[in-house]
Amino acid sequence: MIFRIAVRNLFRNKRRTLIVLTSVIAGTIAIILNDSVGNGMVKQMLENQINLHTAYIQIHNKGFSDEKSVDRYIKNQEYIDSLLSSNSDIKFYSKRIITFGLLNSANSSSGVNIIGIEPEKEQFVTFIKRSLLEGNYPQTGKRDILIGKKMSEKLEVEVGDKVVAVSNTLDGTVKSELFRVCGIYQAGSSEFENTNVYIPIDFADSFIEMNRGVHEYAIITESLDDVDKTQSSLINQLGSDYELLNYRELLPLLVSYVDVYRKTVIVFYTIIGLAVFFGIVNTMLMSVMERIQEFGVLMSIGMKTKEIFKMVILESFVIGIVGTIIGFVIGNIIYSYFHYNGIDLRAFSESLHSLGINAIIYPSLNLQLVINSLLVMPVTSVLGAIYPALKATKLMPTDAMRYV
Amino acid sequence: MEIIKVESVTKIYNTGAIAVKALDSVSLGINKGEFLVIAGESGSGKTTLLNIIGTLDNPNSGKIYLENNDISRYSKDELSDLRLNKLGFIFQAYNLIPVLTAIENIEFSMMLLGIPESVRRKKALEIMNDLGIDELANKKPNQMSGGQQQRVAVARAIVNDPLIVLADEPTANLDSKTGENLLDLMEKMNKEKNITFVFSSHDNKVINRASRLIMLKDGQIINN
Repeated sequence: MIFRIAVRNLFRNKRRTLIVLTSVIAGTIAIILNDSVGNGMVKQMLENQINLHTAYIQIHNKGFSDEKSVDRYIKNQEYIDSLLSSNSDIKFYSKRIITFGLLNSANSSSGVNIIGIEPEKEQFVTFIKRSLLEGNYPQTGKRDILIGKKMSEKLEVEVGDKVVAVSNTLDGTVKSELFRVCGIYQAGSSEFENTNVYIPIDFADSFIEMNRGVHEYAIITESLDDVDKTQSSLINQLGSDYELLNYRELLPLLVSYVDVYRKTVIVFYTIIGLAVFFGIVNTMLMSVMERIQEFGVLMSIGMKTKEIFKMVILESFVIGIVGTIIGFVIGNIIYSYFHYNGIDLRAFSESLHSLGINAIIYPSLNLQLVINSLLVMPVTSVLGAIYPALKATKLMPTDAMRYV
Repeated sequence: MEIIKVESVTKIYNTGAIAVKALDSVSLGINKGEFLVIAGESGSGKTTLLNIIGTLDNPNSGKIYLENNDISRYSKDELSDLRLNKLGFIFQAYNLIPVLTAIENIEFSMMLLGIPESVRRKKALEIMNDLGIDELANKKPNQMSGGQQQRVAVARAIVNDPLIVLADEPTANLDSKTGENLLDLMEKMNKEKNITFVFSSHDNKVINRASRLIMLKDGQIINN
């Protein structure tokens, strides 16, 4: 019956209840949209970095990540190939030769990471092939070089133009090779486009005279959840001559940025929560003050102060729950639309690209965010009603009944 | 049998810089089955005395005994339990819960006692039937007249079979005929069910029916 009274009390002043309800609904929608857009952006940043180059796991010769020297290459490829091919958790893998050099066009030059790739395998490990703006992906056996859009602008070259790459060979000799620009990619990160160029692995091998060595294995597992398991099993099999790093270890800055972002969401919850909190305190206080006499009657009948406290809290909690349910439904309808269609931020594409974020953001929710969006407003509603509820229980029954 | 004993009770109200002595060393006893009226002019202290007997207010000094138990030192929760189990209240302004129907108002104190809904509904209907207000069961207070509301208030006061019913000027807001009817009803409850009634009133209709009359003046009993 206390619940019945609490609910009926909400209908006493419909307009006032509606105002608080609206603020709870708006708060819930804001939380869902903010969380999903933020999470979508962060997820995109992470996925972009993983799919652009990093992959889920990388294998190098020990010490390569500390000093990316060409002579720290992997020799025993056959053994690693057989391990990777027989591991059912591994979906794709690709080998890379990585060196640093200078890329010259007729008009300009620029320092670059020259990455030798296995085109037929690498296309499944990264999305560079799908990011082609024009031209083609490099082909094995051809003097192809794939460059980023920013690099093409810097060197003032187009598809079909010739460029000269200069780098050290394994023995330290400076060597130059002529390549033809086979394609231009746009990766969503200006910095990446400006520094990474791709050539077929066979040409990379002969260019820096590797003699069939590679610097890196890039591995994609069946899912992100398999990464840790696969990493530990490969570490056990390969021993200490190799370094096996997962994407979190390879992208520590980005991972800590994601972590910081997820923690700063609390600040947003607090701001929204406070706005609703004061609205609820104000409304419940008005509602309580105009019913003080009634509380006096309830106390005189024998209702304990803790039950009156419970009743006032319940009224606010009901608003919090109803508002959250309505807000959750509306928020999810809006979220679903943008989740499938994306939010077009092409007007800010330059700055977004520099952060490694796509111009079209797809909001994304996960279980934790759903739980947060369902909890923040009801908890705020209860907290906001505590002071008014205490106020309702402070007086003696006679003082309450005489209260004007 | 004395069920309530008031011993040297004094109550002082501080209104700003002025202290008003509403009760001045009042002592009295109330026996089971009495139809007692505390009468006096406005400001004589009759409502204050009723409130203190009903544990709705604390005295500044003195003691109250209910069935020989000193209730002056009871905690807030103990007093709530006492009011719920032993006392019934009827107020001048009826004071029904506006969001509840008549039957729900009557059921309310049974709900606080934890009586199951089916049992309390049956008992509430029986009492409404006894008082001739069963047709009001589903009406809310704002759909009832003053007399009807006060009858519902009487039903609410007696539904838990209290030791004593305290009625503060119950006829003050009613016309004389409705007031008489209400008093008939309470008198009937007193005689048939041996319920003790204590009134505060300056209404002659109430005073004339008293089995015992206590006159108060300036916070003191001048006639018992």
